[in-house]
Amino acid sequence: MADSENTAASAPRVRRRLSPGRTLAWAVLIAALVITLFPFYWMIRTALTPAADLPTDTTALWPHHATLINFERVLGLTTTAQDLAAGGSGATLDFLVSLRNSIIYAGLIAFAQTFFCAMAGYAFARLRFRGRDLLFGVFVMALMVPPIFTLLPNFALVKSLGWIGSFEGLVAPSVLMTPFAVFFLRQFFLSIPAEVEEAAALDGAGRLTQFWRVVLPMSRGPLFTIGLITAVWAWKDYLWPLLVGPDQNTRVLTAALGIFLQQSPDAAPDWTGLMAAAVLAVIPVALLLVFFGRRLVESLNFTGIK
Amino acid sequence: MAEISGPVGGVALAARNRPRGTSAGAARRRRGSGARRGDGRVAWVFLAPALLGFALFYLYPTVRGAYFSFTDYDLLSPPHSVGAANYRALWHDPLYWNALRVTLQYVVINIVSQTVLALGLAWLMFRLTRSVLIRVLLLVPWLVPNVAVGLLWLWLLDANLGFVNHLITAAGGSSQGFFTTPALAMPAIAMINTWQYTGYTALLLYAGMLQIPSSLYESARLDGAGEIRTFTRITLPLMRPILALVLIVSVIGSFQIFDTISITPTHGGPVNATRAIYYYIYQLAFTQFRMGYACAVAMTLVLILGVLTFLQMRLLRASRSDLA
Amino acid sequence: MRRRTRLTAALVAASMPLAAAGCSSSSSASSGPVTLSYALWDQTQQAGYQACADAFTAQNPDIKIKITQAAWASYWQNLTTEMTAGDAPDVFVDHVAYYPQFVADNQILDISSDVASSAVNLNQYQPGLANLWVDDGKRYGLPMDWDTEGLVYNAKSLKAAGIAPSTLSSLTWNPTDGGTFEKLIAELTVDDNGNNGLSPKFDKNHVKVYGFVPTYDDGATGQNGWGDLAAENGFSFLPQPFSTSYDYSSPALAQTIQWMASLAQKGYAPPYSKSSSLGVQTVLDSGQGAMTILGSFDVSSYTGSTAKQSYGFAELPIGPDGRKTFINDTSDAIWAGTSHPQQAWKWVEFLASPACQDLVATKGVVFPAITEASKKAETARIAEGQDITPFVQEAQASGGTLIYPISQHEDQINTEVQSQLDAVWLGQSGAAAALTTAQSAVSGYMSQP
Repeated sequence: MADSENTAASAPRVRRRLSPGRTLAWAVLIAALVITLFPFYWMIRTALTPAADLPTDTTALWPHHATLINFERVLGLTTTAQDLAAGGSGATLDFLVSLRNSIIYAGLIAFAQTFFCAMAGYAFARLRFRGRDLLFGVFVMALMVPPIFTLLPNFALVKSLGWIGSFEGLVAPSVLMTPFAVFFLRQFFLSIPAEVEEAAALDGAGRLTQFWRVVLPMSRGPLFTIGLITAVWAWKDYLWPLLVGPDQNTRVLTAALGIFLQQSPDAAPDWTGLMAAAVLAVIPVALLLVFFGRRLVESLNFTGIK
Repeated sequence: MAEISGPVGGVALAARNRPRGTSAGAARRRRGSGARRGDGRVAWVFLAPALLGFALFYLYPTVRGAYFSFTDYDLLSPPHSVGAANYRALWHDPLYWNALRVTLQYVVINIVSQTVLALGLAWLMFRLTRSVLIRVLLLVPWLVPNVAVGLLWLWLLDANLGFVNHLITAAGGSSQGFFTTPALAMPAIAMINTWQYTGYTALLLYAGMLQIPSSLYESARLDGAGEIRTFTRITLPLMRPILALVLIVSVIGSFQIFDTISITPTHGGPVNATRAIYYYIYQLAFTQFRMGYACAVAMTLVLILGVLTFLQMRLLRASRSDLA
Repeated sequence: MRRRTRLTAALVAASMPLAAAGCSSSSSASSGPVTLSYALWDQTQQAGYQACADAFTAQNPDIKIKITQAAWASYWQNLTTEMTAGDAPDVFVDHVAYYPQFVADNQILDISSDVASSAVNLNQYQPGLANLWVDDGKRYGLPMDWDTEGLVYNAKSLKAAGIAPSTLSSLTWNPTDGGTFEKLIAELTVDDNGNNGLSPKFDKNHVKVYGFVPTYDDGATGQNGWGDLAAENGFSFLPQPFSTSYDYSSPALAQTIQWMASLAQKGYAPPYSKSSSLGVQTVLDSGQGAMTILGSFDVSSYTGSTAKQSYGFAELPIGPDGRKTFINDTSDAIWAGTSHPQQAWKWVEFLASPACQDLVATKGVVFPAITEASKKAETARIAEGQDITPFVQEAQASGGTLIYPISQHEDQINTEVQSQLDAVWLGQSGAAAALTTAQSAVSGYMSQP
């Protein structure tokens, strides 16, 4: 992985004069960055605008009367009367609780699913047993099943197990496996040479030991990648957590945002409050990027081929 | 693009992880030790969790959903069989065909714009600057939940107070009601999703570009090829497999657009312009209690996605990497 | 393989009862503390019902009420999703147009036996309201509050146009030339150069203040505008409640819709495509609109210390068939899947009793359904500076009110009619053509079980 980056890096890095082509290219890249990031700036700007100013103060890059009231009321730090006066409906976001729930949800699923799918992927890649390829084909076909299809029967199942409103119910459909994770990890395990495992086998290690002691430690890269992608997907998941865990103790951040939107004042959406809530929802992501941005970006480079 | 980002990244990366040696060769090597004759029993240990998850949360609901599609079921009283009536009904249902049509419109606009822009961005990142910071910044929209993205753009595109309309009127145009004009509503939603996923797609394509040996670029440079020539003659053809993979998997994910539509105030309007297939299924099941019919529509979606996946396999095999 | 099948079969069996069971009303005589969930959509009313909840819990310490609110735009979808998921609130505010579908789907409880055994006095409510909730001999709710529609106008704009407020009580309207109502709208419309809508120099492309701000997304009944006017034009949705023959293709309705669409074409009203997500009230508050039709439940947000402009209220104009307004009613329904039906009934009984409705009356936001409480509300609202006499007079005028069409398939009809009307507001279709399409779709829905 590092090799291909460096060798490919050396070639085009020759310092050329600032040709019109290069200038244009930079302009395009900067434009792309602006288009990517400006909406977030605008989100913050709106969140700092008092609701009463909205119809009139629409275009200035910084609000005329910047205020923190919207954040305060979204976080539940104001009284209901103050909230109604500031354009809200008395609803709050329960930010810290939903954040905690989102982290638990994404973390649980990422860890467990990666582990279980690694086991399954390894089985499909290395172990010999009857019907292996057929079973794998069936697994992959599950990729085509649209989630809306499985939503209701899954809900009915979770409900009959008494898991509505609990983390067990939230993570149930995703914690054991998803088809693409199995697919991805099987492809990866197929690609690593079997010599190391065979050496371990000659030393008397059984399949489980080979997997646990030899293969897994070698696979940190792709495991991290799949874990990351799974965590991001779980972080963004909306409909399922909304259905299964709408109560406070299991409400994830996306569901909290959706419920906050629904609780808008009857007459009109509470834009300043919504933008404040959205800013809060983006802060964890921003922090993640600050600390793990490089790791994140480089894991997407992963080719996995040794 | 993918409302479910999983498959895109996962399968895309899986494609690049395609084994160099054949699995048959590996198997032959493995057959050395007699103790490894059949892994049947230990395979169970490895497979048990995934199999359980598959059976409970994929197989069982699918079978049940297929069964419901042949019934009239409102979730509150037992389903009773109606044969193929649901399928006949959807054949004659203008809202169904409308849903397919607007979904197709969304998919085309979203995928084309996203892929073109992502390719361009990937090329810029590859040739112009390898800055990690830029790549991190481009990734931000992908990490933000769809709900927040939808809200943000709903506000930016507001007919009276949105910033985009401010730019349009400042440039001399007249402000547009993006979500109240049928011709603009779905394209607006498509571009919102393009905005969200282009950076991520660009990073995937960028990673694909890294695989191309630099020697090819060296010789191109020595031959005096300019940027565009290099891109079209070397990079693009060699990226065919990863490009095909990213494209087709994004299409499948794109078909399942839901979150952004559910936030728009018109709930599928105006004049059904944003009532995409996924949203239509959701409305049938959750607001009209027509679960049987909803399952029938969902079954047709499974069929369509199956055909698309089949095409995917075909196209992938057809574009074996010229690097391998 | 066999192990897995058995496990799967067990789980299939476990979830079958859920699929098979309709309403799971497990009426265990549960003693011990209970928390009921109660859903409503109007957050301005929430304070009043919270006061009721506190009073109720004081009398019934074992029962707590947890109130949740979701805006009207998401309320019904939210509710049906929760019902589908088997997780709906125990009691929720129900609306006359939506309850038949819940009855047909067995989602709300019949309370007629409870009403009889508690000897609830049905005569204490405003005449006509209590019977709205009876279907096929069974009762599904007790009246909660009522409202009518009227005009709200910017008092300063009216004065600037030189119009006396007293003339507003005798406005006339017809779909051909709009009557004195349209004349008033034109007079209140002002373009950037100061010309009003009647002036030959009026520039309809550069309007500063719109004389009238219609509610374009008004569903299948147009409560906040076209529905009332159409009724004044002789239109009626259904011959009687629970009938299956809608009359959307009636010319009386088409004329009304066409007239309303013409306002935007003439420059007197903002076009549909420019509707701000901030709603009609924001347009009025920012001074860009002078008048609209609103329900009495919205009056409180236009008055009081936080009001952005000074507003006046008036009755609706008089149409060819007289003056007609929707008189709307809400009630409280008990979800059929509640695990505490007895406690839920106690709460519903309390909500429909003078004890609660008097409390709500003092908050001055709505008119409770009990006649006595309603009078108290009038007094309270007038004391708060809300001029609600036009709304009350409309309710009392004989033959001046019409009730919501009550039928099945409300959700589908709503979606369909709104879609077709969207096309008319956008200028893509004429009213008659759009409504004919809507009618055939609606007939299709009504012929379904």
